Amino acid sequence: MPKISDSPKYKDIVCPFCSLHCDDIELDVEDNKIFVKSDINESCKKKFEQNNLNSITTISSQLNGKSESFDNAVKQSKKLIKNSNETVILNTSADVNITRELLTSTSKVNGIFDHINSETFLKNIDIYQRKGFMSTSLSEVKNKSDVIVLFSNNILENYPRLVERVLAPDNSFSIKANKKKIYVIGDKKNNIKQNLKKDNRIKYIDFNLRDTSILIESFITKSNETSLKENIFNELLQSINTSKYLTMCWATSEFIKNDNCYNIISAISEYVVSINETSRAACLPLAGNDGDVSNIQTTGWLTGFPSRIKFTGNYFEYDRDLYHANSLIESNKIDLVIYVNSISNKKLVLNNKNKNIIVGHPTTKYNIQPDVFIPCGIPGIDYKGLIFRTDNVVTLPLEAIKIPTHRSAQEILRRLVN
Amino acid sequence: MTTIHLKNGHVFDPTNRIYNKKKDIFVQDGKIVKSLKKKADQIINCTDKIIMPGAIDLHTHIGGGKVNIARLMLQEFHNNSDRDYDLTADFVPSTLKTGLQYIGMGYTSCFEPALLPMNARQSHAEMADIPFVDKGGYALLGNDDYLLSMISRGAHQSEINDYVAFILKASQCIGIKVVNAGGINAFKFNQRALDVDEQSIRYKITPRKIVNVLARAVYELGVPHPLHVHCSNLGVPGNFKSTIETIKAAEGLPIHITHIQFHSYGDNGDRKFSSASAEITEYLNKVPNLTCDVGQIMFGQTVTMSGDSMKQHKNHKHAHPKKWLCMDIECDAGCGVVPFKYRDQSFVNALQWAIGLETFLLAEDAEKIFLTTDHPNGGPFTSYPHLIKLLMDKTFRDDLLDRLAVDIKEHTILKDIKREYTLSEIATMTRSAPAKILGLKNKGELSVGSDAYITVYDKKLNDIEEMFAHPSHVIKDGILVVKNSVVQDYIWGKTQVVRPEYDVSIEKKLNKHFKKFNTIGLSNFVISNDEMSEVIGSDVNVNDCLRKRIS
Ligand SMILES: [Zn+2]
Repeated sequence: MPKISDSPKYKDIVCPFCSLHCDDIELDVEDNKIFVKSDINESCKKKFEQNNLNSITTISSQLNGKSESFDNAVKQSKKLIKNSNETVILNTSADVNITRELLTSTSKVNGIFDHINSETFLKNIDIYQRKGFMSTSLSEVKNKSDVIVLFSNNILENYPRLVERVLAPDNSFSIKANKKKIYVIGDKKNNIKQNLKKDNRIKYIDFNLRDTSILIESFITKSNETSLKENIFNELLQSINTSKYLTMCWATSEFIKNDNCYNIISAISEYVVSINETSRAACLPLAGNDGDVSNIQTTGWLTGFPSRIKFTGNYFEYDRDLYHANSLIESNKIDLVIYVNSISNKKLVLNNKNKNIIVGHPTTKYNIQPDVFIPCGIPGIDYKGLIFRTDNVVTLPLEAIKIPTHRSAQEILRRLVN
Repeated sequence: MTTIHLKNGHVFDPTNRIYNKKKDIFVQDGKIVKSLKKKADQIINCTDKIIMPGAIDLHTHIGGGKVNIARLMLQEFHNNSDRDYDLTADFVPSTLKTGLQYIGMGYTSCFEPALLPMNARQSHAEMADIPFVDKGGYALLGNDDYLLSMISRGAHQSEINDYVAFILKASQCIGIKVVNAGGINAFKFNQRALDVDEQSIRYKITPRKIVNVLARAVYELGVPHPLHVHCSNLGVPGNFKSTIETIKAAEGLPIHITHIQFHSYGDNGDRKFSSASAEITEYLNKVPNLTCDVGQIMFGQTVTMSGDSMKQHKNHKHAHPKKWLCMDIECDAGCGVVPFKYRDQSFVNALQWAIGLETFLLAEDAEKIFLTTDHPNGGPFTSYPHLIKLLMDKTFRDDLLDRLAVDIKEHTILKDIKREYTLSEIATMTRSAPAKILGLKNKGELSVGSDAYITVYDKKLNDIEEMFAHPSHVIKDGILVVKNSVVQDYIWGKTQVVRPEYDVSIEKKLNKHFKKFNTIGLSNFVISNDEMSEVIGSDVNVNDCLRKRIS
């Protein structure tokens, strides 16, 4: 069992759970239990403190829902891998180092590698694969952006501290923070409900995000073709036109439900590019919370591609359609899926037509019992690691803050494939 | 560890003034030794071989955000049609391929010249996955709001020195680079150009001032590698004047001008684009403490990637294929990735090619000029053997000039230059000189006691390009990693850094600044040695400073 560092660090801890990866968390650890000292959002607090649950520390490996020894779970997994013609290894949440191990593992089993959110993040990459793109990062938005347009119906649910830490901060280095204008465009009721603190800088505008392209087109032609009231539209346009550093921010995961997702983000992006002919503006697309960015980056430097890769011996190839894990699973085209879910405990949707192995967060939920479940430690709670922040430029260190009760995902993977 | 005996080789070891001398080299425990007590485990007959220290690339973009953006942007150039291992494009290879290709060419150390401190953890993690070679990074400063505000409020040089030394430590780097001093920052405030003596709107300071302050910091701290400078006005016709002004900004202190080819343009002739290599090299030849690397261009598809978002944004109109990305990064710097195809039908591209070669050939001292293509900006590093042939073979060079699709002979003096580089000069510019200018201890030489980083070339290969492309043997850390031109099992190199001293009170000030304005805390900005080896995956090797800090 790896030992916890001799002088554990409980200040400036990086939160592994959402892609903002706030690094100002202060903790107490007593009796190997975590207590969050910082005054942060309750939902963020809970994600740390749920790791104290007995159900987390005592859960063992399982075969078809029944407790088994780790060795037997490994044995059974190896058997499933051996009998499989086509194995998919699906990253459903991991940091950089687990992703490195995932790729090695996939090459060992001649399998297919993908990330659960690839459909979403490929849409973002599509933009700069096809045209120009101007982007920015969190500190630039905090310190330089005077006008921010955020498209979202529920941004605080997925990124609880985005507004306080980045969009509407107390201090900005290059501009007056209290003069910032922040427009939150989307489901007004829901957005207001989530944001408890009143802030005069933030305006909530009720809007159906499906029509975002029309709104952008209206900005370009300077004539309102949307359902927005004229005065609201004009104020918005006026703010954009007089901005010194405009940021347009969105989470592609919110647009993906619409069949015109790519058109929307492409319209926003093109508009931002055109503004840069004379003024400054940039896009800030927000990533998903399942280690999406760590997956894109790590897989990118190791293979040149962001996901959807098939290994055959030392050789590998990328095919966006052929190696799309979710569609392979749905169409019953593979016989074994290994889910690696080390950070989140979201519900995994398994298909009973194929065999399923989960190496995962001890409280990982699923629709049907997997053939094998092996609990793993969480990077940032049980193990050290590295994780990319939503803006793709900052990578943060994950600390081991308690003594792990489960093996690391890397160790388990090595046992499964070697 | 196995012992190795390189028997009867033709040795080139410029550090020890050994040029083409018949000699034996012995390797034990990772070092070059005087002799072996018993028969070596591996004896390599080098009668027909040339032996040089392992080559060093002091400017190659191999790791960090912009490299990865380029990999993902240009997927269509990763050729999947052939069933070989790892077909990522040569101009944006995967990390594994980067290591395989470098070691296969006899390179044992490579330096990423644009490592953004805010992006340092990624750069190191990425480079940690490059096998075989040692690597290192130059931390990018001179566009970060913190330094610019310090300069603008007239901070004392010693405080700036503290900051620079802190950044070297925090980002685990071996040198400091400045890219378009102040220009990347000014672009964030919508300035589109910034000449050497032009004040930025936001900070009211000039690029000259920034270069001066940083060159002084690097010098006073005793950092071996001089300030590494990407000048203002990249690619702009007539920019040779601002290049010379940038050199002058160092006021005689050591300065390294990178990819000088892109900064050696005149604006004469009916096309308002001409070679100023003569003016630049005349300066290079007479000014002490000045070094440069060339950034030779090669015809074909590549991708340009730079911290210079100001210039890259302007250049996006020339993107080929038509796509690009520019980014503002963390009040630290920026980046721009623009794919580009150098075409020999283009007057400008053809002349750029000639300007690079003129620069190499007019520079008198091989210790002052380094062989780079600014990978991948001028072309991929895999074109080095071809470039070496261009330098060593006048007939070959003239032939290519004659065959260019566009006639530039009126505009270049290339034909008049008789010089052919010697093997000794190539050894100097790719081994001893870069080791010296980076302060790499025990590297780039074959002295007894130095690290066994050795490349063995096959003399029988008549074609010099072929010879440099496929050394027969390469030894890294005393291990035979290339044997009969076949790359052996992976080994992993170290990260080379320097650690000048600083007054820790700078950390207090920075901590306050980070808390208030940054989106991460200072403690998570700093990368420790332990994190480097345990989590990121590369051990650190600390190189000595030249001397104790001056002020
Ligand atoms: Zn460069």
